[in-house]
Amino acid sequence: NAAPGRPPPQHVRFLPTPGHDGATELVPTMVPVLAEHPLVRGPRFRRLKIGAGHRLDVKASGVFVLGIGHGNKLLTDLYNCHLSKVYTVGGLFGKATDDFSDTGTLVEKTTFDHITREKLERVLAVIQGTNHKALLMHSNIDMKTQEAYELAVRGLIRPMGKSPPIITAVRCLQFAPPEFQLEIHCLHETQKYLRKVVHEIGLELKSSAVCTQVRRTRDGVFTLDDALLRSQWNLQNIRNAIWSCQVKVQAEIERTL
Amino acid sequence: ALRGALRGARPPPASRRGLAKPAAPQSARQLREVEEAAPVFQYAGKAAKRKDRVFVWGFCYSGALGIPSFVKPDAGWKKPRRIQATPYRLETQEKISSAACGYGFTLLASRTTDITKVWGMGLNKDSQLGFQRSRRDQTKGYEYVLEPSPVPLPLEKPQQTRVLQVSCGRAHSLILTDSEGVFTMGNNSYGQCGRKVVEDETYSESHVIHHLKDFDSRVVQVVCGQDHSLFRTKKGTVYACGWGADGQTGLGHYNITSVPTKLRGDIAGVNIIQVSSYGDCCLAVSDEGDVFGWGNSEYLQLASVTETTQVNVPRHLPFKIGKIKEAACGGTGNVVLTEEGNVFVWGYGILGKGPNLTETAVPEMIPPSLFGWSDFNPDIRVAHVRCGLSHFAALTNRGELFVWGKNLRGCLGTGRMEDHYFPWRVTVPGEVVDVACGVDHMVSMVKSF
Repeated sequence: NAAPGRPPPQHVRFLPTPGHDGATELVPTMVPVLAEHPLVRGPRFRRLKIGAGHRLDVKASGVFVLGIGHGNKLLTDLYNCHLSKVYTVGGLFGKATDDFSDTGTLVEKTTFDHITREKLERVLAVIQGTNHKALLMHSNIDMKTQEAYELAVRGLIRPMGKSPPIITAVRCLQFAPPEFQLEIHCLHETQKYLRKVVHEIGLELKSSAVCTQVRRTRDGVFTLDDALLRSQWNLQNIRNAIWSCQVKVQAEIERTL
Repeated sequence: ALRGALRGARPPPASRRGLAKPAAPQSARQLREVEEAAPVFQYAGKAAKRKDRVFVWGFCYSGALGIPSFVKPDAGWKKPRRIQATPYRLETQEKISSAACGYGFTLLASRTTDITKVWGMGLNKDSQLGFQRSRRDQTKGYEYVLEPSPVPLPLEKPQQTRVLQVSCGRAHSLILTDSEGVFTMGNNSYGQCGRKVVEDETYSESHVIHHLKDFDSRVVQVVCGQDHSLFRTKKGTVYACGWGADGQTGLGHYNITSVPTKLRGDIAGVNIIQVSSYGDCCLAVSDEGDVFGWGNSEYLQLASVTETTQVNVPRHLPFKIGKIKEAACGGTGNVVLTEEGNVFVWGYGILGKGPNLTETAVPEMIPPSLFGWSDFNPDIRVAHVRCGLSHFAALTNRGELFVWGKNLRGCLGTGRMEDHYFPWRVTVPGEVVDVACGVDHMVSMVKSF
């Protein structure tokens, strides 16, 4: 609605104007139609069809893809591409809560001074290994063919249909006990699953952990640089963002489908 | 007076049976207080040590997995398990430092100074696990051992000698100690135990354990092929005995040898740091990174140097793939590991590069991305390679185990019964330190987290 609307249509009206003799005369003038005035009609756009991409929790933050109007069709295409998302997950050792995040009711407190970065990396390697296996198994490709071997060498095997949440890569960014930060690349997941993963890492290290922060840094082709902050939600920025992402989205869809 | 009566009529406020406070959402301060008051549990102390575990998987009916309930279930209605497709924990009394899988039996050894140093399980029809006295009849022995049972060794100083390594072949086994040489037991119809062949000897329920100690220096590695034995000494020389019809003894003839004899050929004078064999082909790696081979070459294992199918003298294999660190021989295929951590395979069978590559005489590299190498993890390297009869195993420096090859009776341990044409991870709960491959089962030594 902030965009300049089209100019109001004009029509000819015969207006009475005072003539030069004193008598009123009818003079044709072009006058804007009063019925089309914005103050009379109200804002031009009252409803917008907006669709949301992959869901984001209330407690999580990060990149959230929206499609407007005809872009909703592109949303389904992007969903079928099954691209991985990148999250930055922050965790805290020593506590276990019922909903795996630090705002839930406390279930248990444990010691964590025996945890070292090495142990954490080992657990992360095992998680990556089992998820890699799940990736290969859910991709529904016959493992005996030569194409499966070629794809596996290049690392392009991924499930192209419904599958349980799979983590493709994990990396420890920071480790300062009791806090730690992980970067997780995953497919088909929910934020609750990521918090559960943090809890399970804590259990595996013979302690307990809760998740303090879940932040999506990348959703397929959309990264943090393309995202608009709440303060930047105005027409100009939205238009620029759509323009710059259009090319990327097209390329990705063509590549995968 | 009325007022006084009214006041008296009110019930005393003390000891009122009230209901508990309703669970209203507590304020942040109350939550913090509850948290601080909660007890802290300690599951692992600061000095918690990582435990050593043994995992087994594969074909169970021979008893080689060491878990009796697989063959003879505890309850009558349970059926015996034929194949254990995923790693199963085996409880052992001591930390197992070396394990070897033979053709239907397993030996586990520990570096302890206790009296019991070696345990065996599986087939014992040729006394390859020593004499296991039967409990029902004291004069007879067991033909199948279902549980890890101590192997009695005739040591001179049982409380000082340590067992360094064990190795198993088709029907014989070798045990290497640090100060008392090598002990051999099992089938000796081809002289593979290093003693003279006795005609019509019955090998089952035999008490014979032969002791070999005259080599030019201390023996540091023993390897069993199918029906022959190889010994590597500290000076870098290799001795062999046993069946030689395929030239696997490498002594220049195709007869059997019953006394360990030194190998010549291209190996003479070369310091060998590792020997490997499992079927009828043998490979040796020198300290300079060269690889030598001899034995059966029907599957193009040695076709790069010769067209003959049997090579009875060690020949240098001129591969230009870099300095070789470790080699492993299987029944029909061979695998080597170079210093950079690359894995090369050649021979016949499922080699690990997809279903199209079934035989090659020249080593082909397996791309490191199949072992988990990626831009995310650029420092993953393969640390060890091992070979079973028709499958291969590779251990990375992160402690992950990759297997590929023919999945004979579930020996790969991936949980699926199909063959794997490229390296596939085995999910083991822990960091895999070492693995031993047999014909249809595998044993791994794992450190817990």
